[in-house]
Amino acid sequence: MRKQAWAVEVKELTIRFGDFTAVDNISFAVKPGEIFGFLGANGAGKTTTIRTLCGLLVPTSGSARVAGLDFKSGVQALKSKVGYMSQRFTLYNDLTISENMAFAASLRKLKPGVLQSRTRELFKFVEFDYPVKTLVKNLPGGIKQQLSLAASLLHNPEIVFLDEPTAGVSPVIRNKFWALIRKLARAGKTMFVTTHYLQEAEECNRIALMREGRIIALDTPQRLKTQAFPEPLIEINPEVGGSRQWVEKLKLDPRIGCIQPYGRRYHVLIQNQAGWKKVARTMPKSLKTRPIQPSLEDVFIRLVEGGRT
Amino acid sequence: MNPTIKGFLRKEFSQTLRDPRMRVFLFVAPIAQLLIFGYAISTEVRNIRLGVYFSPGDTLAQRIEQRCLASGWFVPAMGPGEDPYRRIQSGRAEAVLIAPPGGLTRAMQRNEGRLQLLVDTTNMIRARGIERYMQMVIQQVISEASPGQEQKPVLNLNLRVLYNPGMQTSFFMVPGVMVMLVCILTILMTSMSLAREKEIGTFETLVAAPIRDWEILLGKTLPFLILGMILVLIILGVAMLIFGLPMTGGFWKFILSSFVFVCTTVSIGTLISTLACNQQQAMMGSFLFMFPGILLSGMMFPIENMPPMLIGIAYLNPLKYFLTLLRNIMLKGGNDQVFWNNLGILALIAVIAIAASFKRFRQTLN
Repeated sequence: MRKQAWAVEVKELTIRFGDFTAVDNISFAVKPGEIFGFLGANGAGKTTTIRTLCGLLVPTSGSARVAGLDFKSGVQALKSKVGYMSQRFTLYNDLTISENMAFAASLRKLKPGVLQSRTRELFKFVEFDYPVKTLVKNLPGGIKQQLSLAASLLHNPEIVFLDEPTAGVSPVIRNKFWALIRKLARAGKTMFVTTHYLQEAEECNRIALMREGRIIALDTPQRLKTQAFPEPLIEINPEVGGSRQWVEKLKLDPRIGCIQPYGRRYHVLIQNQAGWKKVARTMPKSLKTRPIQPSLEDVFIRLVEGGRT
Repeated sequence: MNPTIKGFLRKEFSQTLRDPRMRVFLFVAPIAQLLIFGYAISTEVRNIRLGVYFSPGDTLAQRIEQRCLASGWFVPAMGPGEDPYRRIQSGRAEAVLIAPPGGLTRAMQRNEGRLQLLVDTTNMIRARGIERYMQMVIQQVISEASPGQEQKPVLNLNLRVLYNPGMQTSFFMVPGVMVMLVCILTILMTSMSLAREKEIGTFETLVAAPIRDWEILLGKTLPFLILGMILVLIILGVAMLIFGLPMTGGFWKFILSSFVFVCTTVSIGTLISTLACNQQQAMMGSFLFMFPGILLSGMMFPIENMPPMLIGIAYLNPLKYFLTLLRNIMLKGGNDQVFWNNLGILALIAVIAIAASFKRFRQTLN
C-alpha cells in the first residue's frame, strides 16, 4: 500500500507530561474508511493519543500524519480536516440546538448558507428530528450525543475522532449510535473510536489494544481471538451449589491449564486435550461444559492481565 | 467582521442574557447596591442617644442638654435615669454628660468647671462625631452665657465648600460604588465564563477548532467588554438621575476612562480564569483580587492615611486611578492634567494586564 493511502499514520509516537509517559513509542496506521477502535482501560493513553492526532497536544517525539498532514504543515490545517468529539460534553446546555450548531459553524468559519444545508443534511443522516429551538439541556442524553456527533461533522471532516462516544448512554442508544458510525464509514469517513466496552470493539474493523501507553495488540477482532487463543476454550456452568468446590479443585489441576471466573461461570483454557478428556469423564452431571468461541473479553484478559504477570 | 468573533458574541450574549439569575446579577443587583450605598451609607453621625445628669436648678447644664437635642444630632437616651455606666453598657445611651454636683455655674465660678462625658467607643466613627458635636455645643452655650469673656479670633475663616456644595455623602460615595460595581461585575463575568467552559469540557471544543489563540481570547472577552460598557451606562444613569450627580468634565472623558478600566478588569478576569480549573476557584480568585482592590482604592478609606507599604500597593491598583478619574470628571470639572495623568497610568496597567492575560492564556491552551 502506498504511503499517502493511510488516513492516519503514527510512527514511534511518544508523549510525556513531565516524568509521566502517557504514550510510549507507539506505531500504527489507519486505512481510509475504516472503523478503527482503540481499546484500553482508563489511563491507558487513548485520549492522549487522540488529542495529539487532533492537534491539541504536541508529541514529545515520533511523527504522526493525519489526512496527509503532519505537525510541520501546521496544526490549523490539521484541525480543519478532522472532526473531534471529546469524551466530555461538547455542547452548551443553555443554548438551543440551532444556536449550538451556529456556534460550531462559526468556529469553523462556515458561511450561513453552508451551515443551513449541512445541518439539514446531517440531521437527516443521523435521523435527528427535534425542533431546533429546543434548549440542549432539555434533550435526553443519547440525543445529545447524536447532536454532538452532528456538530463535529459539520465541516465535513475526512477523519472523525470519537473519544468514548457512548459512555453513559443506554444500550439501545449505543446500538443506534454504532449504526451511525457504520453508516459514516460506508460514506467514506475514517472513524477512529475509543471505547472500553468490549462489545463495541467487536464492531470495529480493526482494534488496537492499549495498556500503560503501549499498543500490545493490533488486528481485526477475529484474528485477535484466534491468535490469542490457539487452544480450545471450554465454558463450565456450575448449577448446583456443591459443584463450586469441584471447580476449586479444577483450578489446582495442572493438566488442564488456565481457569478464569466469568460471572457465575468459568472459562477453562485447555492446554492438554487428553488430560481434559480424562478429567471431564470424572465430572458430576451438574457441572455443564461446552466448547465456546473466545470473546474479546477473553482476549483482553489474556493479553492485558497476562502481560502483567 | 470575523465570523468566529461574531459567533462568540452571539453565543455569550444568548448565554448571559437567557439565564434569569444572570439577569438579576447584572441589572438588578448593581442598581440595588448603588441605592443602598448611596442612601444608607452616610458619614454623618446622627441619632446619638444622650443622657444628661445634673443637680436640680443647674440651668446651664439644662441649656446644654436642650441645645444638644435641638441640634438634630442627639436624641434623648431611653429608659430611666439609673447608673450612667449601666445606661451605656445596656445601649440605652451612647453618650452621658455628667455635670458637677451643686451646678455648673457655681463650679465655673470656683474655676473648677469640669464636665464629665462618657462615650461608647465601640463604634469609633460615632464616638469621634459625638466628641466633636459636644464640644461645639458646649462652647456655644458657655460663650452665650458669659458674653463678657468671649474672645474675638484674630483671623476669620472664610470657608467655601467646592465641588460638593451641599456636602452630600452620596457625591462622595457614588463614584466609589460605581468603580466597585464595574470592577466586581466585569471580573466575575469574564473569569466565571471562561472557567465554566473548562469545567463542563466545552473548552476542548474551542481548542480543537482551527482558530487562532487571539480569536479565542478576543471571542471570550469582547462580549464582556461590551456588556461591561452597557453596565457602566446603566450605573451612570442611576447615579445622575437618582442621586443627581453632575457630569462636569465631559461625557467623552467618562466613556474613555471607563473603556480603559473595563479593558483592564476584563483582562484581570481572564488572568484569574487561567489559574482556575472551575467556577468555584474562579470566584475565589476574583474575590482575592477584588477585596484588596476595593479597600485600597480610596473609595472609603483615604490612601494618604495608610502605612507606606500599603500606599505602594495602592499605587499599583487600577481601581484607585479609575476612582480618581471619576471624581475628577464628575465632580471637579475634569481637569486635563489630572485626567491625562491618571488615564495614562490606567492605560499602562491595562496594557500590562492584556499582555499578561494573553501570554498566560496561550500557555494554558498549549
